[in-house]
Amino acid sequence: MNTSSPVLPLTVLLACSAAPALQPDHEAPAPGPRAAEDVPRQLGEIGRLLEAAPPGATVLVQPGVYREHLRITRPVTLVANGAVVIDGGGSGDIIEIAAPGVTLRGFTIRNTGIDLDKENAAIRVLAPRAVIRDNIVDDVLFGIDLREAPDSLVANNRIGGKDLDIARRGDGLRLWRSDRTTVEDNVIHDGRDAILWYSKGVIVRRNTGHDCRYGLHLMFSDDVTISDNEFTRNSVGIYLMYSTGVEINGNRLIQNRGPSGYGLGLKETDRFVVRGNLMVGNRSGIYIDGSPFSPDVPGEFTANTIAGNDIGVTFLPSARGNLLHANNFIDNFNQVAVAGRGNLDANQFWKGDSGNFWSDYTGYDQNRDGVGDFVHESATLFEDLMDREPSLRLFLFSPAQQAVEFVGRAVPAVRPEPKFTDEVPLMRPVPVAALPTGGSPARIPLAAGGALLVTLGGSLLGLARDPAVRPAHGGVR
Amino acid sequence: MTTLAASPNLVLPGPPSALRNTMTLARRELRDAVRSRWFFLYTLAFTVLGLAVSFVSAAGTGGSGLSGFGRTTAGLVNLVLLVVPLMALSAGAASIASDRERGMLSYLFAQPINRSELLLGKFLGLAAALLASISLGLGACALILAWKGLRTNPQSMFWLCGLAFLLALGMLSVGMLISTLARRASVAVGTAIFVWLMLVFVSDLALMAGAVALRLRIETLFAVSLVNPLQVFKMWSLHAVDANLDVLGPAGLYAVEEYGSLLHAIFAGCMVVWVLVPLTLASVVLSRRSPL
Repeated sequence: MNTSSPVLPLTVLLACSAAPALQPDHEAPAPGPRAAEDVPRQLGEIGRLLEAAPPGATVLVQPGVYREHLRITRPVTLVANGAVVIDGGGSGDIIEIAAPGVTLRGFTIRNTGIDLDKENAAIRVLAPRAVIRDNIVDDVLFGIDLREAPDSLVANNRIGGKDLDIARRGDGLRLWRSDRTTVEDNVIHDGRDAILWYSKGVIVRRNTGHDCRYGLHLMFSDDVTISDNEFTRNSVGIYLMYSTGVEINGNRLIQNRGPSGYGLGLKETDRFVVRGNLMVGNRSGIYIDGSPFSPDVPGEFTANTIAGNDIGVTFLPSARGNLLHANNFIDNFNQVAVAGRGNLDANQFWKGDSGNFWSDYTGYDQNRDGVGDFVHESATLFEDLMDREPSLRLFLFSPAQQAVEFVGRAVPAVRPEPKFTDEVPLMRPVPVAALPTGGSPARIPLAAGGALLVTLGGSLLGLARDPAVRPAHGGVR
Repeated sequence: MTTLAASPNLVLPGPPSALRNTMTLARRELRDAVRSRWFFLYTLAFTVLGLAVSFVSAAGTGGSGLSGFGRTTAGLVNLVLLVVPLMALSAGAASIASDRERGMLSYLFAQPINRSELLLGKFLGLAAALLASISLGLGACALILAWKGLRTNPQSMFWLCGLAFLLALGMLSVGMLISTLARRASVAVGTAIFVWLMLVFVSDLALMAGAVALRLRIETLFAVSLVNPLQVFKMWSLHAVDANLDVLGPAGLYAVEEYGSLLHAIFAGCMVVWVLVPLTLASVVLSRRSPL
């Protein structure tokens, strides 16, 4: 993955402009080491500092709570020297960057307006080469909004949305026609989307998004690299629409269970590679709708682990020309589904001598070459019925379901057509990339719980042996 | 049961109390149950199958430790659905009918105890035996899962255990109703197995066929499925473990959206009806029938 090329010129630029930061030429009076909330600030204090600063200057802002709305019209570096809170007072935008090459670092920016028509944002960037880093953006409608701000860097910010109904929220992060921007190490939560519009060559890496609508949403954005992000508990983890040339590597997409509930959704996307991602516990791990859009380059899915989702991969009948190989399909209630029925003949589930690992594969490997001796055919009667009549999912996990499956296996007359075949199913899972960072196995509590249950059962048995009820004179046996 | 006849402390010293009588009977029933072959075999089968399910679901992940509790729960729920009703129904069915067959019932009726106390005592004793069996089985599964390092929490195991016990109570109660109605133990147990077959397979399959053939609306489907205590147990355990039912497709989504937090109460209500109504009926039948 080639991540450095678009960033390199940017970093060089940064290094040059950061040099004068050592001798701050404009500085507000130092208030001593006090918490930000204690220090009352005059209205427009930062604004006056900015007015006094020449282009290229570094402006240090001393700790305190500032209630103001800023518009930066000169290329300056604005740095918080401690805990600096800029409070928008619940109205309008808070910081607008109208000059190219502005750096904004280390601020806490909170409390925008809630006007969706005006798209009130904490930080709005209207010029190229902005650097927004190490800020905490909280209680905002839109978080960081880049409009025609190419070659920018959004790094290590924490962006929290307002506690609003999803329909009334704004986007935590939005890029509009901001090519070659890098978005890294941010945390975005409780917003609507993190969204890229018409932005080419963007790099999105190591970000975390949770409790949003779409963790990351691409609209008409080409040549984007999305790697090592984690999106949990959103409605959809990553949703790509009408974008071409997207690389999706090493992301963790976990428990995205909203109304659509896809780990990764692909709508009319072209030239994409999905490699080494982890999709766990989503309503559908991957959802493929009309992708790849043009048939010349196959959509490639490899080394992904798709586990414990309701449906592993959902194909719409429009999905053709996908190539899935060396993935792990582990314990999805329905490994592969075709929405609206049909078969998957236009997609392929193996490449060369490498298929996928299927936890429900029933064959064996006598010659021990790591590949099952029989093809893996997905043809279960109950799945087939469920595809036809979704309300039958109600009978999942019941013995009746298994009776139906048994009949489907035993009676060829009712056996459905296989949905797909994997000619060379793997016997062992491929190494799981991108394991979740936190959350060690909860062994101890579970073991304690088990021990407690066993003790309960044992003590009930002990009660049965209680000498108090043993017949004093011996019973008739 | 035979030990009871010779035991002088059936009626304990002190003022006769309904509770005391019931508890004495319950303890005897528990002891007899634990000593019986059915208890041993069912417990063994349940535990072994549960361990198998746990091993398989732990192995299916290829050692990645990734399987959520989902798959394991599903397997265990399935197992409970098969074994627990069979265990409870046959235990309940054998209880009164075999006493009647051996002439014990007339002896017991001659004692200074109320017939509904007798019934309740037997019910509680068998319930305790079933609880022991279920908690031993599921406890062993939890230990295995913990050993295999699955990412799960113990609450779901407690929920599963509690709900399986509730299901067992309902089925025990149905079994005892069958037992009071039947004249012979073999008839009672046969009927119980027939009822088990109906609840486990036939009703679900019929409902599936109905859903496909009649294009039942999901509201109707959900409402009808509430009649079957096994379905209630299944939906309730999934709901308790996962806090939603979207795994169950449109009908599950409908249930959660329509009833939300009321769902626990609805499931509980259904289960309580299945426990209390057959038991009350059994008590009525027992008090009207001659012991012979």
